[in-house]
Amino acid sequence: MEFFLQQTVNGLTLGSVYALLALGYSMVYGILKLLNFAHGEVYMFGAFAGYGVLTVLGGASSPVVPVWLLITLMFAGAIVVSSAIGVALERFAYRPLREAPRIAPLISAIGASFFLQAAALLMFGSRSRSYSTPTLVDFSTSIPFGPIRVWMVRVLVIVTAVVLMVLLTLWVSRTRTGKAVRAVSFDREAAAMMGIDVDKVIVVTFLIGSALAGVAGVMVGLVFGRIFHLMGFFAGLKAFTAAVVGGIGSIPGAMLGGLLIGLAEAYSTGYIGALYQNLIVFGILIVVLLVRPRGLLGRPELVKV
Amino acid sequence: MRKGSIWRIVALLMALTMVAAACGSDSDDTTTTTAAAAATTTTTSGPAATTTTAAASTPCVASIGIMGPFTGDAAFIGQVQLNWAKYAVELFNGDMGSNITLIEFDTMIDPAQGAILAPQAVDDSDIVGVIGPAGSQVVNAVGPIFDPAQMAFISPSSTEVGLAEKYDFLFRNVPLDDVQGPTSAAYMVAQGAQKVFVIDDQTSYSTGLAGTIQSELETAGVTVETDSVVQDATDFSALVSTIPDDTDFVYLPWQIASNGEILGNQLAEQGKDITIFGSDGMDSADFNIAGSVVAAFAPDLAAIPDSADLLAGYLAQYDETNTFGPVAFAATKVLLEAVDRVCQAGGIDSGDATATRALVAAEVALTDQSADETILRAPLSFTSIGELDGGAYFISEIQPDGSYLVVG
Amino acid sequence: MTSPPGGEVRIGVDQWVEQSDERREQHTGWTAPARRAFDQLTPGWRLALVATAAAAYPFFVRGSDVRIGISVLLLAMLALGLNVVVGWAGLLDLGYIAFYGFGAYFYAIVTSDHLPAHWPTEVAIPVIVVATGIVGVILSLPSRRLVGDYLAIMTLFFSQIFLELVINFQRLPFDRLPFVSEDLDLTGGSNGIPGVEDWQLFGYHINTFNRYYYLSLALVVLLIIGLHNIDKSRTGRAWRALREDTLAAEHMTTPVNTMKMLAFVVGAAIAGLTGTIFAAVQVGVFPANFELLLLITIYAAVILGGSGSLSGVVLGAVVVAYVPEVLRDPSKAGWLFYGGLAVVLILTIKPWQRVLILGGGLVGFGFLVRAVASNIWDESIAGTASGSFASRAVDGWVLILDAQADVITNYAFVAAIAGFLAVTLVKGWWRIALLIPTIYLAVLVWENKLVDQTSVTRQLLFGGALVVMMAVRPQGLLGTRRVEII
Repeated sequence: MEFFLQQTVNGLTLGSVYALLALGYSMVYGILKLLNFAHGEVYMFGAFAGYGVLTVLGGASSPVVPVWLLITLMFAGAIVVSSAIGVALERFAYRPLREAPRIAPLISAIGASFFLQAAALLMFGSRSRSYSTPTLVDFSTSIPFGPIRVWMVRVLVIVTAVVLMVLLTLWVSRTRTGKAVRAVSFDREAAAMMGIDVDKVIVVTFLIGSALAGVAGVMVGLVFGRIFHLMGFFAGLKAFTAAVVGGIGSIPGAMLGGLLIGLAEAYSTGYIGALYQNLIVFGILIVVLLVRPRGLLGRPELVKV
Repeated sequence: MRKGSIWRIVALLMALTMVAAACGSDSDDTTTTTAAAAATTTTTSGPAATTTTAAASTPCVASIGIMGPFTGDAAFIGQVQLNWAKYAVELFNGDMGSNITLIEFDTMIDPAQGAILAPQAVDDSDIVGVIGPAGSQVVNAVGPIFDPAQMAFISPSSTEVGLAEKYDFLFRNVPLDDVQGPTSAAYMVAQGAQKVFVIDDQTSYSTGLAGTIQSELETAGVTVETDSVVQDATDFSALVSTIPDDTDFVYLPWQIASNGEILGNQLAEQGKDITIFGSDGMDSADFNIAGSVVAAFAPDLAAIPDSADLLAGYLAQYDETNTFGPVAFAATKVLLEAVDRVCQAGGIDSGDATATRALVAAEVALTDQSADETILRAPLSFTSIGELDGGAYFISEIQPDGSYLVVG
Repeated sequence: MTSPPGGEVRIGVDQWVEQSDERREQHTGWTAPARRAFDQLTPGWRLALVATAAAAYPFFVRGSDVRIGISVLLLAMLALGLNVVVGWAGLLDLGYIAFYGFGAYFYAIVTSDHLPAHWPTEVAIPVIVVATGIVGVILSLPSRRLVGDYLAIMTLFFSQIFLELVINFQRLPFDRLPFVSEDLDLTGGSNGIPGVEDWQLFGYHINTFNRYYYLSLALVVLLIIGLHNIDKSRTGRAWRALREDTLAAEHMTTPVNTMKMLAFVVGAAIAGLTGTIFAAVQVGVFPANFELLLLITIYAAVILGGSGSLSGVVLGAVVVAYVPEVLRDPSKAGWLFYGGLAVVLILTIKPWQRVLILGGGLVGFGFLVRAVASNIWDESIAGTASGSFASRAVDGWVLILDAQADVITNYAFVAAIAGFLAVTLVKGWWRIALLIPTIYLAVLVWENKLVDQTSVTRQLLFGGALVVMMAVRPQGLLGTRRVEII
């Protein structure tokens, strides 16, 4: 039982990160029918931005502000950087291609992803950086959860993710802009005819998706400690899977998919072996794509002839 | 002009540039590099001198190549190797009055790159020997090219067993995976281990070591559990949860030390008090968990007082070093001395590069440095197939203050 | 209305669409005579011209350059194959390198001491090409149900799975299968399979770079001829139809699923064949050969050259394959950077007087910055230039920072990118004004960092090129712009 609980906590931590990332993919796909390959790099730069804030404020061993403020500022820094990159991507890489055949923005996305990876390699080198979180928040700062103890930082990550997802759901269903986002996802032309500023809505979508990715980046740095220029690519693949499994274009789908994939990874490692972890996740994706391509909560796509 | 034609002209100009670049020879104007690393090819000031007299006063003019991952994902290995090699050449030229140039080839740890660069080294008739490449895959890619050219190549960082047998002109000055395994296993057994968990990172270096450790330990009656991760994973919590609490050692033959740090942290997070035993890939500042044990093919250079001057001289010019550096220095010194011996015997023949290279290779094979001549203060010579003769691994424990204490 | 060029008006026909071909053919500008002459040659003669030039290449260069030529030709073959899938059939296949790897590994397994098996080349090659084709069939099965982006992800994951399988083959429980022995090490794991044999065709041993070069060249020429014929045939038309509008094609009784499969198979077979040559030339196969960078390189070649155009993708492959070679040597890299910058500026800023003003402003700005910086802070000019002819020229003008001042270069890089993006947003004199500091920063970053780091620069260049090409000229250098009729 203890083992199962432990793996569940592991899976939820991972799943929270994937869910936040998958949200970005799903929202952008819903609105533009575009898979934003470069989303992983946005997340990666968020993680580095958080590291930058950490270093500027004294580093893990001697921070100049209290820990809770430090972490908040790290999140803030990541949000600023990630949103900037996301909005720039939309404006310069994707907007010119809105009417082009679908292959064009995909290739542009691949190119942008590659460019950003190279930029990170150029700026930060190939060595990874570490947040050294245990120095910041000792392992003994933990919460008991049944037979196991859960480290405070993990709790923070899971709780923050849940809070953000709840906020996002409320935003999408209650506010005007949120409803506008849903409208544009549903039918862009009709929304435009109803007087919605489609460009603005798209920018807001990218902004929010990228901000979430930035937060996810800092979370990963906090919990796992190691950030490096390729982390976006690998997390991106998993988050893709999560978004597709949950139903791409669907916000609750992305959240569900993220958590599911995180749990799948944890349980498969726990009960089968870490060796098969990636194969199992990819396998899930292929099965879902072949059996139910719209995902668990997705809408079947209607192609108008 | 119409917009369309712009691009035609661009295409035309780019094509012309490419043609000019390709047809242009390398002997245009290049200058030697100083501090910052650059992927330049440098040429000697003239054809290599043929010495007819055996006078030691004639400066030896020749080139040696260095292949390694100077940029890209493994740059932390290649950069340090390059810097130490440059340092070695600088010191040697200063001491012996020779004029040996170091020519760089950046493999980016990609065997396809290695296969393209090796012919370039062969075609440059001034190059009489090569340091590197790093990485067993790249060694396998360049071996078929250097062997027929009779070019000696000394790799300071490739540990796959059996390579020097395959390639006649390969020399290696590091002990191989088949030494590290038994030494590490013996240490664990001596510590009374009953249960060991081995996790490899799916690289050839790792799986080889893991396999050896497993068989050695099982022969000694230790229970071994295994699992495997990818180098790009950042979260090992799920895996850590599967490690039984009563495990004595977690053996990590990993190349990315910072991953080891994460695993160690997560072990502590889950309250598991298990010692981590890392292979030489974990011998790095990125892995710093007090109480852990690492293996290395040399004690930390900082712990060798006789080489303190060398280290200081190096650090004055370059900022960083790690375990890969001094070994590259040693390899370069071996090659330089071999080249010099050939020089003094009048053997550098700019007309026949192959003959010169064969002579150099023969001299490398005869290398016999005593302990006070080498940077690591251990004698250096090669076996008949080109592997390092002797060569042991050192086990060190990481102290709370970050220093290393040799324990085995 | 003025009467349309080229003939009388026909009832019921859309003139503008009709004349699109003619408009393309009327070249203007000062390269027009050359281009019209080139157009006069039939494709056969054009091919012969280029092929002869390529055949003459080994006589003028050293062995190592011939080796580079082989890489270029192999990339051209891959680009031709990818062109079939992406350019002609419009299927976004991100798993293409899995076919390449499959062919290479298969060849390595059957013609080395690994198993050991020493199949004769004449047997191995056809078997491998067919086998890769079959793998292509398997990968095409999902394409029946998935389109566009979904297909892209699927194929991407397929290639990742392929790599994982290759590396971990020994650890997976294949030995539970009846006919597989306990320690069958099929793929050599992460070590790869070295010691692969050369091609031997009917007693003729292909074992020098020159011979491999000509073999590859012959194959490229044959491929171009073959593909050209397919393109002009019904199959080619069916692919075009399926690319432009799958649903309409299906309703016009084009067997869409079979055509998709055929595209995959042809692409896969070409990649498999290329893989065998690659394995033979490298005398070994290693997992590191099939990383994502290669996929991006092939895509860059196809997109840059013009997807859909045979000559385009070959040209793209040549350009893309030569870039890393040029970048490797700082003096040549300097040509590429400064030359490219100058060309782009001259061609995009009109009238030419503005370019001169830009140049003058740039020079003045540079000296100003340098004067200010060197007074405030000595390290700003402490570094040494990398040695290319151009950087010696700019040595007195740009700040060459001490190696320790890394952070400044990072900020300069970000600022330069932001500057270039901003330049696209403004017009007129504002553009010139903004360009001056932006270009200065770009040169700063180049001289201080990019020149040394060839692999990063290459990646930046390819990635950036894909984005820019898509936005500015999606049809590549030699492709034709697709006319979207709404």
